[in-house]
Order: sequence, then C-alpha cells, then structure tokens
Amino acid sequence: MSDEVVLVEVRVDRDLCVGVGQCEALAAHVLRVSDDGVAEVVAPGLLERSLADAVIEACPTGAISVAPGKNDSMGRGAENRSP
Amino acid sequence: MTTHVAPDLTTPSLYLSGIPHRQLADMRATSGLVWHPYEGGGFWAATRHADIKEISKRDDLFSSAVGHTNLWDLEADALEARRSIIDTDGPDHVRLRRLVSAAFTPRNVRRWEDTTRAIANELVEQFVSDAGGDFVAKVAAPLPIRVILTILGVPVEDADFLVELSNYLVEGTGEQPSLPADAFGNTTPLRLLPFASPASHALFEYGERLGAERRAAPQDDLVTALMPAGDDGDRLSVSEYRNLFHVLVFAGNETTRTAITHGVMAFGRFPDQWARVTADPSLLDSAVEEILRWATPVLHMRRTATEDTELAGTSVGRGQKIVMWYAGANFDDAVFTDPDRFDVGRSPNPHFAFGGGGPHFCLGAFLARMEIKILLEELIAAGVTFDDVGEPVRVASNFVHGVLSLPVGPVR
Repeated sequence: MSDEVVLVEVRVDRDLCVGVGQCEALAAHVLRVSDDGVAEVVAPGLLERSLADAVIEACPTGAISVAPGKNDSMGRGAENRSP
Repeated sequence: MTTHVAPDLTTPSLYLSGIPHRQLADMRATSGLVWHPYEGGGFWAATRHADIKEISKRDDLFSSAVGHTNLWDLEADALEARRSIIDTDGPDHVRLRRLVSAAFTPRNVRRWEDTTRAIANELVEQFVSDAGGDFVAKVAAPLPIRVILTILGVPVEDADFLVELSNYLVEGTGEQPSLPADAFGNTTPLRLLPFASPASHALFEYGERLGAERRAAPQDDLVTALMPAGDDGDRLSVSEYRNLFHVLVFAGNETTRTAITHGVMAFGRFPDQWARVTADPSLLDSAVEEILRWATPVLHMRRTATEDTELAGTSVGRGQKIVMWYAGANFDDAVFTDPDRFDVGRSPNPHFAFGGGGPHFCLGAFLARMEIKILLEELIAAGVTFDDVGEPVRVASNFVHGVLSLPVGPVR
C-alpha cells in the first residue's frame, strides 16, 4: 500500500482565479493559464495527492480544489488509485 | 492599544541605513497589531508572517481600492486619476489582472529566456572588461528594464529614457524629489500623478504614444495585446491603460533591480554563499528565493478595513488603515529558521517578496525569478567573484528598498 500513488481530480474556480500561474509552475501538465488569463485544467485533470496539496497551498487566491467527483468502491470520493 | 512611536517606521531617512530589523522584531514580539501614528492619524502595523498572509488573503475585508495602497489617503479625484491594478478590488481587479496574466505565466516567461540571457551576457561581459564599477548602473538596472521593455514592445533606443523616468519615480518615493513640477512639459497637478512625479506624466505620455502606434500597426508585443480590438473598446479605459503601462514599466524594473543589487551585497558580505552556489548550480533556484527574501524590494503595502473586524486579537475599525511591512514577515523566526542568516540553500522559503498572497500576488514574480536566475548563471559562467563590494548608496524611501549605486571592484 505504501507505494501506491493516489490521484485526485483538481478543478479551477474561474471566479477566483486571476491567472497568477503558481499552479502552472508546479504542475504545467495538468494546470495552465490560458490566453484569457484564467487557469484551465488539462484533461483528465489528475494529480498525485501530494502535488495537488502543494498546488492548492500555492494558489494565492484559493482557486484550486479537489473535485468531489464520484465515489469509487472504496468510498474515497474523487481519489483514483493506480499502482 | 499598543502604540509604537520610536523610531518612526515611515521616516524615509531611516532606510538610508537599511531595513530596521530590530524594530520589526520588537513589533513582531508585541501581541496584536501595533498602532503606528502617522500624519495626525495612524495605521495598524502588521509585521508577522501569519498576519500579513491573512490580510493579503482577505481582500474582501482589507481593501486595496479604498483610500490608497500607500500610507496616505488620496483625494477622490487623485485616487481615480492614479488608480492602477494595484489599487483595485474585486471585479475591476480581476478584469485588469486577466488582461496581463497570460503574458507573465511561467510558460510565457520562458519565451523571454534567450533575450534575457543575451542581455545579461552583454552586461556581465562589459562589467568584467571594465574591471567593475557601479553594479546598479551597469548591470542591475539595465537588465530588468531592457527585458520588460522588450516584452512591452518598447524600442531599445528608448530604454535609457525610460530608465531615467524610472529613477525619478524612485526618487518621488523619498523625501526630496529634485524635478520641477513642469519637467517633461508636465501641466498636470502633481497630486494627480503616480508618485506625485512629473516623470509619471512623461511615462503616461510615452505609453499613450506607443499604444496609438501599436493600434495603427499591431506587433507581437504586450502593448499591442492591451489595445482594444474592434468594438471591445470598453475593456480598458484610457486611465486604466496608462496606469497599467506605468505599473508594468516601474514595477517591472525597479523591484528586480533592487533584488539583484541586494543579492550582490549579500554575496559580498557572505562569500561562502557565493562559493556554494558557484560550486553547485542545483542551488540556483533556492538562491534566487533567498535573494528575494533578503532583498524585500517593496517594503510595505497598505489596506483599508471595509468593516469592523479583528486581526491577531486586535479590533480593527471600518475605514482604518492596515500596513503590511513585508520585511517583518521575511525575517519572522516563527517561519524562518535563523532568519538573519543568508542561506542560498534555504528550503522551504515562503517569503513575501511578492506580497503575502491573495489576488494581488506580484504579476511579475516568474519574470523576476527568471531574470535573477539567468543573471546568476551568467555571473558564474564569467567567473565573477564578489570579493570587493563597497558601500551602497541607498534610497531614502519607506516604500522601496532601493539602492542608487553599489561600487564593485574587479570581479575576477
């Protein structure tokens, strides 16, 4: 279990985002600021839990969150697991 | 209420001998916020990392648009004439910020790396062949201004003029500006101009002329991108445009110049840290962050409470001013181990050189980081050492931690 990578789905609150780009600096493969100055999620928007936490902490406007998503069989909300 | 009076944090000449770290430490150790008298009134001084973070985040409670973001209130007409992206809240801020955000993301800043390296290389080579000199005039000032002007689309032959204007603006933050009110053909009352400086008039005028040129003949640059296209003319008013241009030019060069200069001063004082980063380039990123923390290029920003509230156990009344003294946060031992040590390997380094977070987080943060890192790389590649760093001439300003000149001897 300890080697397991937990993936979560992140989302951007377009009302809060002002396009600072901290998320892009940390996770450009999943989050990037588009030409309209708002961050967008690159599908499927999955990040390792620890990286997602770092991105959420780094966003100055609190615009990033973990999507509630569908519960999986483990009842873990948006968490997706892969070995 | 805790009142703190001596020495007065707002006295510009206080900063001629550097940041008053001991006083800031005393204020951090005082419970609650500290009431600081100022011009017949006063403000709440925030010096702790946690408090500045909270103020920055709660932009609904602590407004940038009311009164002013500087210590003194502006009259209504002056506030409107001088209102920049820095002095806005909510939807107005979001609209302005999003117009320029995309240009300064990590991905887009990377587009300017080669340009930055070429400029840095040229300046460092010249500095070495000159056997040193004033590091501010020869390296720290020209690098960021030339980069931001390239991004904006300002012709390189105008760079010296804009550096000159920027220098006058810095001076405008201090005690005794030297320009006459009608300098640069200015006829606008000074109170309606940023930094109450006629240099702002010249910068407004320059920005408007360049904007008109780009509207007529678009180029691949930021000024062109800011010009309204077709019937989209409402997205940026004339006043918003010129104040935005002003902020991009000023903040895009003065702050990074300051960071670079304080970095060199720190390496002169702590040669072991220059040796460390020279020997191990993997320390470059953390060295940049430590330079930013150490430099704290902007000394404070002010907010105004929009309602009665409480912060750090202190009651703050609606309409009262709260001033965030960023150097307090950047040397807060509740957050930084051994904060008075300049440590290029410091990690984590949650400094507030770009502000305390929230929507006003520095627009140019990634650009500044990129410029400083590339300059360090070029200095290392040129074999530069800082064994002979002289005494700086500092700016008498409570707002920018500026350095006018820094003599550096032969560097290798």
